[in-house]
Amino acid sequence: MKNDANVTLSVPAKAEYVDIVRLTLYGIAARMKFSFEEIEDMKVAVSEACNNAVLHAYDQSEPGHVEVVFTVIGDDALQISVSDSGVSFEQATDRTSSNLHGKSIEEIQSGGLGLYLMQALMDQVEIRSNQGTSVILTKRRMAQETV
Amino acid sequence: MHTDKLSFHTENLDGLTVVHIAGELDLEVASQMRSVMEPLMELPDRRLILNLRELKYIDSTGIGILISIVKARHARNAPFGVEDVPPTIQKLFDMTGITPFLDASNA
Repeated sequence: MKNDANVTLSVPAKAEYVDIVRLTLYGIAARMKFSFEEIEDMKVAVSEACNNAVLHAYDQSEPGHVEVVFTVIGDDALQISVSDSGVSFEQATDRTSSNLHGKSIEEIQSGGLGLYLMQALMDQVEIRSNQGTSVILTKRRMAQETV
Repeated sequence: MHTDKLSFHTENLDGLTVVHIAGELDLEVASQMRSVMEPLMELPDRRLILNLRELKYIDSTGIGILISIVKARHARNAPFGVEDVPPTIQKLFDMTGITPFLDASNA
């Protein structure tokens, strides 16, 4: 794929479409020669961003769309932005990042795991809000060039 | 859209229930997973193990379900664990910190 090329995908903000985003990601990342493990990492991170939009962006009675833009940066980085145009997102979205390390069985809970995984699996995670919310995920391919 | 992305096979052994989960455990199939697991979680006298050998993918929703099973079993003082965890999934368990709560040798 050419440098700075991009692919845009717009899907209904419903759980059953997150698969389509994962499949597209796989196609693009595999062509960029990301490793299997890197692709698995990105699949989880991008799905978490989509889950957030599906769960929090829109009123259930009027589901909107999630727009996913894949941008190839330079020759070894992939940036994926996941955007919704939900109005109530700012209050609703889970902006906390949390994990289970060092916690007792009584203390563990799932809140914050999605954002935690995005941060742990990607090189960079940025969240922007104005009209709706965008989560911008970036991963750089580890050097593994053979001639 | 309809997909058979997640399937279950339950094995009832002597005092032990093993649930084999195959496919992708994500937001779309979370309610399906909960409805299969809830009745089994209620049985304190049987050990409960999830066999994940054929699980291809899990997200934070799936890990959240595992957390709720861990808590439900703990509240009943009932054993629970997972076994045959594929490496890509074990990595996510280790990353999130759920691993110590899933030890099948306690189950």
